[in-house]
Amino acid sequence: MFKIIANREVGPGIFQLVLNYDQLPQKPEPGQFFNIKVSQSGSDDPLLRRPFSIFDFDAAEKKVEFIYRVVGKGTKILSELEAETELDLLGPLGSPFSLNKNKGNVHLIGGGMGIAPLYYLSKELKSSNQKVYLGAANKAELEFFEEKFKGLGVELHLAAMEEKLEIKGSALVLWLNYLEKNTPDYVYTCGPEKMLVAVERECLKNNIGGELSIEKRMGCGIGVCLSCSCETKAEDQKNKRACVEGPVFGLGEVVLSA
Amino acid sequence: MPEKQSKLEQKITKAELNLSVVMQSQQKSKQNNLNLKNPLITASGTCGNGQELANFYDINQLGAFTTKGITVKAQSGNRTPRIAETSAGIINSIGLENPGVENFILEVLPETKEYTLPILANISGYSEQDFEVLAEKLEGREELAGIEVNLSCPNIKGGGMIFGTEPEKVYQITKKVREIYSGYIIVKLTPNITDITTTALAAEAAGADAVAMINTLSAMKIDIEAQKPLLANTFGGLSGPAVRPIAVKMVYQTFKKIDIPILGLGGVKNGSDVIEFMLAGATAVGIGTINMTDPAAGPRIIKEVEEYMLKHQIKDLSSIIGTAH
Repeated sequence: MFKIIANREVGPGIFQLVLNYDQLPQKPEPGQFFNIKVSQSGSDDPLLRRPFSIFDFDAAEKKVEFIYRVVGKGTKILSELEAETELDLLGPLGSPFSLNKNKGNVHLIGGGMGIAPLYYLSKELKSSNQKVYLGAANKAELEFFEEKFKGLGVELHLAAMEEKLEIKGSALVLWLNYLEKNTPDYVYTCGPEKMLVAVERECLKNNIGGELSIEKRMGCGIGVCLSCSCETKAEDQKNKRACVEGPVFGLGEVVLSA
Repeated sequence: MPEKQSKLEQKITKAELNLSVVMQSQQKSKQNNLNLKNPLITASGTCGNGQELANFYDINQLGAFTTKGITVKAQSGNRTPRIAETSAGIINSIGLENPGVENFILEVLPETKEYTLPILANISGYSEQDFEVLAEKLEGREELAGIEVNLSCPNIKGGGMIFGTEPEKVYQITKKVREIYSGYIIVKLTPNITDITTTALAAEAAGADAVAMINTLSAMKIDIEAQKPLLANTFGGLSGPAVRPIAVKMVYQTFKKIDIPILGLGGVKNGSDVIEFMLAGATAVGIGTINMTDPAAGPRIIKEVEEYMLKHQIKDLSSIIGTAH
């Protein structure tokens, strides 16, 4: 069982959910997610759980954190839950980002709520040789993330669509500005699918390896319903499930829809 | 009065409960019956091929297991989004994504060997001939206790549900499959029909051992922000607690009309739902959508059925089948 320690708004419509747990089947890895039952007291509405990638994890404190934006019925209900509320979570689920390769100069590119899994990733990479490029609609949406990433001591670049930070524009444009003079050896990215498509294209063109985490409408989160199937570019054309083989895929592994 | 008292004195204990049910076969030999240690059967397409649920509990605790629907050739399924949510239900349009029967035999069936419970293979076709091919391929497979003939998938074009809405077609396909396949045959029926008893009778007349009802109800959802259908396939099939009363009604309606057992399913999420289906006339009860939202539900539901039996002092669960009539 999980218990809410904090569930607070950290940006416009953006919430930080901090949970305390008794025990976990295994240590959650960056890029994995938990499937949270948001309906309370046996209600069937909404019926499905909501998948959230792990924003932060602390084994010593027995804490797992998520960042979410209120977009619909499920997240609305979640945002109204108070501290001490017990929650039903399944996880950690899915395949994580790989951490153990010698990756040299690493770039993390996150857009919108796609920033969430990159924080735990950045923390676990434990490398000073990482540069982080984040983008969102405005400064207010980025303030919380800015403070958190600064705490990790990584090189941080910020962009907003509605106002000029380092640039006025997307995380993608920000990153592309740096790409030529500072080519990474490896890239991790999460955000809107259009951004993933562009990052993937640039990386494949320049022979840069990397991984992306996709968001796909899921049913079960455990691989049984095949709602989140992704087309692959593999020869056998076998689909891959975002909830089991993903949500983290290698660049070029699955077909993205631009 | 004394009788009641003596009943109270001899209270049935948990150890005495008998949850087993027998799904009788229309074939002469008793060997063809499907014996289940309890009435719970996983619904096709909600449990993968077992491994996924094995992370949550030992699926051998269930009555039987139904594999994800297979077709003659591998299918990559419909485009995404394939799932939409509604109050107390989901609408899916997966489109029978599956590796095809050859790979099913090579890759999936060997994995089921570690299970001790009866395994049912769900088969779907795009033509009558497809069902014959599938029956031929699966005939004699010792890993299987039987097959579930899906004449009701709403998510494939030119097949599935089309066959299931016409009693003549149900009869023809079931008869063909019966001629080829010697194991237990369950015909899964669609609720998207005026009178489901007509197709149930057709399946029975053609030699089906049992009927399963209901498959999903044809449905759709419109994304009002995008002002477009949410599912890439436009239409899908509704399942979950929202459909249960319809399924219960159809089981109830069919029970008195046919002599073969009914596998009742639709929105079961706890023990009381299982009881409701059995009172309506189901011999076995499917669990589907609940596996997606609560993967560990199987053993919990069994426990809840036992609690009901103790509360009502029912020793043999099968004694309540159809007793709401």
